Amino acid sequence: MKIFVLVEHRQGKVRDITYELLTVGRELAEKFNGEVTALLFGGVDEKIDRLKKNAHHIILVEDEKLKNFNAELYQKALVPILKDEKSYIMLIGHTAFGIDLAPALATELDVPISTDCVGIQIEDDNFITIRQMYGGKLNAKVSFCEPGRYIITARQAAFPAKDGNLDGKVISMPSPVGEIDYRKFIEYVEPPIEGVDITKADIIVAVGRGIKDKDNIPMVEELANALGGVLACSRPIVDAGWLPKERQVGSSGKTVKPKLYIAIGISGAFQHLVGMKGAETVIAINKDPNAPIFNEADYGIVDDLFKVVPVLKEKIQELKKG
Amino acid sequence: MDIIVCIKRVPETAEAEIKVDPNGKDIVKDTLNFDINEADNYALEEAVLLKEKFGGKITLISVGEEECEHILRMGLARGADDAIRITDEKFSELDGFATAQILYSVIKDIHFDIIFTGCIATDDGYSQVGPTLAELLGIPHATLVTSIEVKGGIARVHRELEAGLLEAVDIKLPALFAVQTGINKPRYASLIAIRRAASKELKVLSSKDIGLEEPRRKIKIESLFVPPVTKRAEIIEGSPPEAAAKLAEIIKEKGLL
Amino acid sequence: MNFELTKEQKMLQEEVRKFAQEELAPLAPELDKTGEFPKESIKKAAEMGLLGIIIPEKYGGAGMDFVSLAIVAEELCRACASTGLVITVNNSLAAYPILAFGTEEQKQKYLPKLASGEVLGAIGITEAGAGSDVAGMETTARREGDYYILNGSKRFITNAGVAGIFVVFAYTNKELKHKGISAFIVERDTPGFSIGKHEDLMGMRATANAELIFEDVKVPKENLLGNEGDGFKICMNTLDTSRIDIGAQAVGIAQAAFDKAFAYAKERKTFGQPICEHQFIQGMLAEMATRIHAARLMVYYAAFLKDQGKPRISKEASMAKWFASETAVEVTRKAVQIHGGYGYTKDYEVERHYREAKVLEIYEGTSEIQKIVIARSLLRGL
Repeated sequence: MKIFVLVEHRQGKVRDITYELLTVGRELAEKFNGEVTALLFGGVDEKIDRLKKNAHHIILVEDEKLKNFNAELYQKALVPILKDEKSYIMLIGHTAFGIDLAPALATELDVPISTDCVGIQIEDDNFITIRQMYGGKLNAKVSFCEPGRYIITARQAAFPAKDGNLDGKVISMPSPVGEIDYRKFIEYVEPPIEGVDITKADIIVAVGRGIKDKDNIPMVEELANALGGVLACSRPIVDAGWLPKERQVGSSGKTVKPKLYIAIGISGAFQHLVGMKGAETVIAINKDPNAPIFNEADYGIVDDLFKVVPVLKEKIQELKKG
Repeated sequence: MDIIVCIKRVPETAEAEIKVDPNGKDIVKDTLNFDINEADNYALEEAVLLKEKFGGKITLISVGEEECEHILRMGLARGADDAIRITDEKFSELDGFATAQILYSVIKDIHFDIIFTGCIATDDGYSQVGPTLAELLGIPHATLVTSIEVKGGIARVHRELEAGLLEAVDIKLPALFAVQTGINKPRYASLIAIRRAASKELKVLSSKDIGLEEPRRKIKIESLFVPPVTKRAEIIEGSPPEAAAKLAEIIKEKGLL
Repeated sequence: MNFELTKEQKMLQEEVRKFAQEELAPLAPELDKTGEFPKESIKKAAEMGLLGIIIPEKYGGAGMDFVSLAIVAEELCRACASTGLVITVNNSLAAYPILAFGTEEQKQKYLPKLASGEVLGAIGITEAGAGSDVAGMETTARREGDYYILNGSKRFITNAGVAGIFVVFAYTNKELKHKGISAFIVERDTPGFSIGKHEDLMGMRATANAELIFEDVKVPKENLLGNEGDGFKICMNTLDTSRIDIGAQAVGIAQAAFDKAFAYAKERKTFGQPICEHQFIQGMLAEMATRIHAARLMVYYAAFLKDQGKPRISKEASMAKWFASETAVEVTRKAVQIHGGYGYTKDYEVERHYREAKVLEIYEGTSEIQKIVIARSLLRGL
C-alpha cells in the first residue's frame, strides 16, 4: 500500500496542512508497511528540508505552470502518477486546493473519496474515515465501498503535525502537462478592509465586567490585534458606554460563531453564553473558579486577567513570528 | 446564456437539536424544518443575476422525493424558468458520486453555458457533487466561488482561499461553478412570481426515464454518533507567564494562529 | 373542511416570513425608539408586491385573496408591528375601498400607485371628537360647482405623515344623519390640506401617525367615492374587511411575544431548573398558545368567508378582531411576566410587544364596539 501526499503550497511556501497530512501518512504507512511519497508540483521558494524529514520519497515536478494552484493542471499531473497504482491512499488537504481538485481527480481515476475527514481508523481491515456532519453536531464513520485505492481529504488542523526523522529522496519527474486554455490562474487578491462586523470574525476576544475600567480595554484590544481577531464585549461594557453596541455578544446583542472565542473577565451569564455558544474553541480567563463561563469553555485560566493578558499577547506575538 | 442550477433540500440544523435515529445511520427528521441548501440559494441568485444581464433560461434540478418540489417552486418564484425533479425509490442512501451520476444523466442532454451548484451542503458537507459532475461532463470547474464576471465566453471568478485571501482564475465556458455563501444577496420572490410558480408544471423524471438503473455508490455511512462532549474547561495551571505560554501553544496547535 | 393553506399561500407565508424576519425584525427596536418612518423597508416591501396584495394584476397588484392578506399582516407584524401596520393600512384601508367602491377611472388612477408603493395610502374616519361614534364626525363637504369643499380635521391617522392618497369621510348632508356621510379620495398636495402634529404613541410608533387638517380643500367631484350618502356604508364595509387584518396583526404580535417568552423560559433557570419546568410557567405558556391558536383560526376563517364571497361578515370579522386583540394584550402581558424583571427593561423586546398590543383593542372599533356589532348581528339573526 503506497501513501501519497499532495504538498500544498502557496506563494512559494509549504502550508501547514502538508505536514499534518504527512504525519497521518507516516502513521498509515507504518500500519500498512508502506512508504510515504510527497508530491510537490511546481516547486517552492524555500528549502525542503522539513519535507525530507517527513516523507520517504518526494516526487518533484518542476513546471512554471504548476507554481500556482490550478485544479485542472494538478489533476493532469497526478493522473499519470496514480493511474497504474493498484493499492494506495492519496491524502490531500480539504482546503481551497483539495475542494477544487480531489473530487474531480477521484472521478477521473474512478477511486472512492471521503472528504473533510477529521479522523482515520482501521477497523477489521476496513478503512474508516471520521467526518463531521450537521455543522459538527454529529460525527459519522464513513467506509469505502471499493477496496484497494482511496482518496481522503483531511480537514485543516484536525490532525496534529509531528515531524519525522526520515531522509526523503527527491525524484525529479518531467512535467506531463501541456498548456490548457480552459483554466488560467490570474493573480491573488488581498481582502479589502471594512468596518467592524463581529459576526464575520473568525477570532473574537471579548471583554467583560472584570476589566473594571474603560482605560484597561486597549490592553485587551492589543491581544485581539495580535491574534488577528476582533474586539467584542458583554453587556456591562456597552452599558457603561465603553464600547459601542455593535461589539456586544449576547442575547440582546449579537450571536457569533467564530473559530476562536476568548472571554476575558466575563462571568458567563446565560444571556452572554447564548450569543457565543456556537464558537468552535472557547477560552476563558477569569479569577473566579466558579464562573459559569468555565462550563462553556474548552480551556480556562483561573487567574487575574491583568496579569495574564499582557503576557499572553507577548507569547502569541512570539509564536507568530516563529 | 442558459444556466442549470442544481439544488438540494436539506434539514435546517443550525438551531435545532439533532438526534441519531434508532438504526444509527441517519437522523430523526420529523421534527426538523427543511429548506433549500443555503449555498444553493446563493447559486440560484447568481444565475438570476447573469440571466438579467445576458438573457437565456435557468433550469433547476433537484434529486429527491415529492417534498423537494417546494424548493423547486420557490426557485421558480425567484427567477428560474423550468424545474426538473429526479426521483426513484431506488435512490435512497445516495453518496456524492451517485448524486453526480444522476445529475449527469439528465444534464448531458440539456444545453447549458454554466452550471451552478452550492459549494457545500449543510447536512453532510462533502463538497463533492460539483467537481464530480463537472468531471463526468468533461467541463472545467471552480469551487468556493465568491464572484463571477462573464465576458466573451470566459468567466473571471474569484475563489476563496484561506485567511481572507482570494485568487482570480479565468475559466472557459461551458463550465461548472460551486459558489460560496455570501456571493450575493438572494432576492425575495415577488408575490406575482409566487402565484405563477405555484401553478407551474414541474418535470419529474425517474431512473427509467434517464436510463440509469443503479447509480454507483462509492462510500457509505457506517454509523452516526454524537461527538464526545467536554463538560468542563481544561484549566491551564501555572504562573501567568507559564499558563499564557501553554495557552498560546494550544491556540497555535489548533491552527488558529 | 379543508384547513390547509393552498400551495400558493404556503409559498407566500414562507417568503414573507423570511423577508419579515430578516429585513424588518432587526430594525424594530430602533424604529420604536426614534419613531422614524421605515422608508427603506417599505420600499423593499413594495418591490415584493406587498403594498397591493389584493389589488388585481391589471392595476399592478398581486391579485391575491383575503387569506393571503391576513397571512402577510400576521407575518409582518410578528417581525415589526409598525411596518406591518403601515403596509396593512395601505392594503385594507386605502386600496380596498377604492377597489370595492371606485369607478373604473378612479381604480385606474389610484390603484397602480398604491400597489407599486409610488404613493402610500391612508384613511380618515376618526376625529378628535368622534371615535366610536363615527356618525358624530364634524368634517363637512360642501358641493360647489365641480368641487366639494372639505372643512374639518381627522385625528390619529396612520400613514398621515407620508401618504399621498387619502380616503376621507365627511358630511355632505347633516340632516340625513349617518346617511348624509360621503367618502372622498383626497390627494396630498391639494391646497388647504395639511398634516398636523405627529402623535407620540405608546406603541406602533413608526407609523407617521398624525392629524389631517382640511381648510377649504377643493376636492374634484370625480373623487367622490361611490354616491353621495354612501359614506357610512363604505366605511362599515371597509372596517368589516380591515378588522380581519387587525386580527391578523394581533395574532402576529402575540406570536412574537410568545416565541420570545418560550425561548426565555427554556433558558432561564430558577430553583435549579429551567423555568419552563415550573407548573405556573407551563400553565401560562399553555394558555398563551391556546388563545393564539384560537385567535388565528377565527381570523383565517373570517378571511376565508370573505374570499368565498359571503356578503356580510361583520359578525365573524368583529369576533375575530375582538378576540384576537384581547389575546394579544393578554399574551404580551404574560410574556413580560415570564421574563420577570428583565421583561420590564428595554433590553428585551417583550415590553415593546406589550405596548404595541394595547392599541389593537382600541383602533378600528374598540372592543366595546366590536361586542355591539356582534350582539346586533345575533339579534338580526345573522
